[in-house]
Amino acid sequence: MIGSAVVRATMVVTMLMLCAPWMLAGQAISPEAQQHWDAARRAETQKQFDVAVGDYRKVTELEPTFAAGFVALGQAFMEQHDFSNALPPLKHSLELDTNLVPAHQLLGYALLAQGYAAEAIPHLERAHEQGALGIAQVETGQFAEAITNLQAALQKRANDPDLLYYLGRASGLLSKQSIDTLLAAYPDSARAYQSMAENYLVLRQMPEAEKQYEQALKLRPDTPNLHLELGEVFARTSRWPQAEEQFRAESKLQPGNAEAAYRLGDALLHQGKSREARAALERSNKLQPQMPETLYALGKAAWLEADASAAEKSWLELLSIEKQGELAAQTHFALAGLYRKQGKTAEAEREMKQFEELKSSGSNQTASDPRE
Amino acid sequence: MLDRLLQFACVIALLAPVPGDAPLLEVKSPRGIDFILENSPTPQKYLIETMPGGVALLDYNDDGLLDIFLVNGGRIENPMSAPENFDRHDPRYWNRLYRQNKDGTFTDVTQPAGLANVGDGNYGMGVAVGDYDNDGYPDLYVTSYGKNILYHNNGDGTFTDVTARAGVAGGGWSVSAGFFDYDNDGKLDLFVTRYMEWDTQHSKDCGGNFHTYCPPGEFPRTANMLYHNRGDGTFEDVTARSGIAAMKGHGLGVAFADYDGDGFTDIFVANDGMRQYLFHNNGNATFAEVGMEAGAALNLDGGPLSGMGVVFQDYDNDGLPDVIVTTLPRQTYAVFHNDGHGSFSDRGLQTGVTMLSGVTSGWGVGLEDFDNDGLKDLFVAQGHVLDNVEKVDPSLHYLEPTLLALNRNSRFESVDPGTAALVAARGAAFGDINNDGSIDVVTTVLGGHPQVFMNRGTNAHWLTITLRGTRSNRDGFGARVEVNGQTRFATSAGSYESANDKRLHFGLGAAKTAKIEVFWPSGVHQVLNDVKADQFLEVREPERP
Repeated sequence: MIGSAVVRATMVVTMLMLCAPWMLAGQAISPEAQQHWDAARRAETQKQFDVAVGDYRKVTELEPTFAAGFVALGQAFMEQHDFSNALPPLKHSLELDTNLVPAHQLLGYALLAQGYAAEAIPHLERAHEQGALGIAQVETGQFAEAITNLQAALQKRANDPDLLYYLGRASGLLSKQSIDTLLAAYPDSARAYQSMAENYLVLRQMPEAEKQYEQALKLRPDTPNLHLELGEVFARTSRWPQAEEQFRAESKLQPGNAEAAYRLGDALLHQGKSREARAALERSNKLQPQMPETLYALGKAAWLEADASAAEKSWLELLSIEKQGELAAQTHFALAGLYRKQGKTAEAEREMKQFEELKSSGSNQTASDPRE
Repeated sequence: MLDRLLQFACVIALLAPVPGDAPLLEVKSPRGIDFILENSPTPQKYLIETMPGGVALLDYNDDGLLDIFLVNGGRIENPMSAPENFDRHDPRYWNRLYRQNKDGTFTDVTQPAGLANVGDGNYGMGVAVGDYDNDGYPDLYVTSYGKNILYHNNGDGTFTDVTARAGVAGGGWSVSAGFFDYDNDGKLDLFVTRYMEWDTQHSKDCGGNFHTYCPPGEFPRTANMLYHNRGDGTFEDVTARSGIAAMKGHGLGVAFADYDGDGFTDIFVANDGMRQYLFHNNGNATFAEVGMEAGAALNLDGGPLSGMGVVFQDYDNDGLPDVIVTTLPRQTYAVFHNDGHGSFSDRGLQTGVTMLSGVTSGWGVGLEDFDNDGLKDLFVAQGHVLDNVEKVDPSLHYLEPTLLALNRNSRFESVDPGTAALVAARGAAFGDINNDGSIDVVTTVLGGHPQVFMNRGTNAHWLTITLRGTRSNRDGFGARVEVNGQTRFATSAGSYESANDKRLHFGLGAAKTAKIEVFWPSGVHQVLNDVKADQFLEVREPERP
C-alpha cells in the first residue's frame, strides 16, 4: 500500500530534482573518485541508471567517508525504483552525517515506498516534507496530523491529485475513527443513532435510516439537523407530507437555517402547495441570497402561482450567477416555456437554443434512469 | 367556464360517495381465466423479457359482454440461439382469448377462435383492437418482437390471420399499436410503436457485479410505423411518406386525440429515455413532430422521460385532451396539460401526480371515471423494469402496488386500489366488464396471472355510449364526445400495449339525464338532449348531415 506507484512516480522524481545541486558543495574528493562522480552524473542525465549506480558505487568505495556519495548512490537506486537497495547507502550516509537533510528526504521516501511508514516519519519531519509526511501519517493512523500536513502541502501544490486523494482519505478515516469511538463509548446516544442513520442514508437503506433518525429524535428532539436529515429520507422516498413535517420542525428549531427553509419550500412545491412553497423559498433566499437552487425553485413556485414576472426575475437572477451546467439548462428551458406562454416567440426560441446548447455540451445529457 | 365546471364537479363528488369504507375496486379471479404471462426471464437479461404483455377488452362475438384477450411472451433459452425460437407452438406460450359467459365466468376459446400458435419466431408484446373493415366485428392486431399479426374477425367466433395479405407484419421490435383514422376517410389506419434496433444475438448486459437490463440508450433508435388502410383488406406502409419515419426513437406507448381541434387525429408516442413525440396531423396525410415546441416533450425541468404508458384524454373537463405519461422512478409521471392553442404545460405538481409517482414505475395507464362523479380518475399498473432493482437502489422495488388516484377537482388523490398485492404489472385495459355502469380494469403481471379489478360501483349515475359510425369509421374512433361538460375522445388505444373497451363511459354524478354532443370525424355534429342516465346507448352517425 505504502509503496504505491503514486508515491514512487511522483515523490521520487521531485526529490531527484531537489538533490542534485548540493551534492559536491564544500566536499573534496580524489581525482579518480571525481571522474566516477562526473561519469555517474552524465549517466543520470542520459537516464542510464545502471551505469550511474556503478560509478556512484566506485565513488563510495574510493571515498568511504564521503556522505554525499552514499546519498547519490541511494538516489540512483531510487531512480530505478529500486527502493530496497536504496535504503542501505542512505542509512549509511546519515551515520556519516546525521544532519544531511537530503538524505533524510530520500530515506523518508524510500522507506515510505517500501511500506515502512512509521520509520519514514522522523526523516520526513526532518526534511519538512509535509506531503509525504501526511501520507505516512495516514498509513500510521495519525489522521488529524496527516490532515494538517496534507493541507499545508496543498498550499504549495494546489490540486495535486495525490495529495487531494490522501487528504480525502485521511478525512474519511478520521471521521470513521471518531464515529467508531462514539459508537463504542455511547452506543445509545442520539448522535450514535444519527451517525448510523447517516450511514444507512448513504447506502439508500431508507427504512433503516428512518428508524435510526427516529430513535435519535426521541432522545434529543432539539438536535440541530436531525429533522432536516430525516426529512431528506422522506423526500428521497417521495413521502412529501412527512418530509414537509420534518423540514418544518427543523425550520422552527433553526429559523436562521437557509437550507431548512429551502427544503421546506421544495417539499411544499412537490405537493403542489405553491403559495406556501413560495413563502418558504423567499425566506431561504433572504437568509442566503443568490443560491441557484433556491432561485430555481422560487421561480418555479412563482410560475405555478401564475406570477410570470416574479418567475422570470428569479430565473434571470439565477442565470446571472450560473451560466453552465444542469441548473442553467433547466432554467433556460423554464424561461422558454414562460416566454412561449406569453407569446414571445423569439425569446422562447432563444432560450430553447441556449437550453439545447447546454444539453449538447454534455452538461446534462442523460436521463435520470436508475438502469444506467 | 372552468370554474363553473369545477363547482359542478365538486357537487357531484359529494353526491356520489363510495358506499361504506370498502375500496372502490376489488381484485377478483373470474373462473376460467388461467393465463400466466410467460416472460421467461433469464440471466442473459434480454430486454424483451421485461416488456410484455398487452391485454384487450373487446366484445369479439357481439354478445354484449366484454371478452379478454391476453398477449403472451414466449420461451427464452439461456442463452438464446439463432434462429430465435420462442416455442410459441407450446400452449403454455399461446396468446389467449377468454370469452365471457352470461354468468360472469370465462371460457378459453383460443383454439376454436383460431388464435393459437402464433409462430415460433415471435415473442409477444401488445395488442390493438379496431374494426378495420367496418364489418361490425372488432379485429385484433398483435405486436411482437418478431412479426406482428393481424387477425380478421370473421363474425362467427373465429379469426383469420390476414397479415400477409394486409401487409402489416412490421418486423423488428414492435410494442404498442392502435387503430385510428388519420385521414378521415372512414377506414381505420394503424400505428405501431417500435422500441429499438435490437436482437437477442446483439444483446448487452448492463450490470456491474450483477446482471441487469440495459437502458434503451444502449441501443440504436428505430422508427415507428404507420399503415394506411386502402379499404380493400390491405394496408400501405406510409411510414416514410407521412413523415413518421423521420423521427426515430424508443417508442413504447401510443395514444390518439385531436389536441388542437383541427379535425384530424394526432398521435402521442411515449418514448423511453428521451423526449416524447407529439405527431401533429397536418391534415394532408403527413405528420410533423411538434413535442418540443408544444411543451409536451420534456418534463418541467427540461429532463427527458422514460415514457412507457400514455393516455390522451381530458382530465380537467376543459374540453381539451391532456396527456399523462408513465415513467420510471425519480422522474415522476408527466402530466402535460393542454393549455389550448397547441400548447401544453407540465402540471405534475398541481395535479398531485408528481407526489404520487416519485418512487414507482408506471406502465399501463388510464383516465377513467371510476366513481362516476364526472371527473376522470387515474389508474396506473406499476412495477419496476429491473427485476433486481433493489441491488441498484435499495429504496426502489421491482414489485410495486397498483395506483388508483381519484380526481378531486383536477387533483389526484391516492386511494386503496382494492389490493395490497405487490406485482410487476405491465399492460392495463379499461372497460365495463360486467355491464354494471362502472369501469373495471384488467392488468397483466409478469410471470403471473392477470389482475381483474372489478368496480363495486357508487350511487352516482352514468352513461355508456357506443358509437356507430356510418360516414366515419364504424367504431367512431377519433370522434369527440361531450356529455354534461365532460369530453372523451373515442379510441381503444392508449395505456401500454393494450386496448380498451371502445365504449365511451361517462359518470354523471347526480344527473339523471344528459346532453350528448358528438363531433364525428366526418365533420358531422350530432346533438342528443335529455338522454336518460344509467343506460348503454348506441349513437348512430347520421348518414346525411
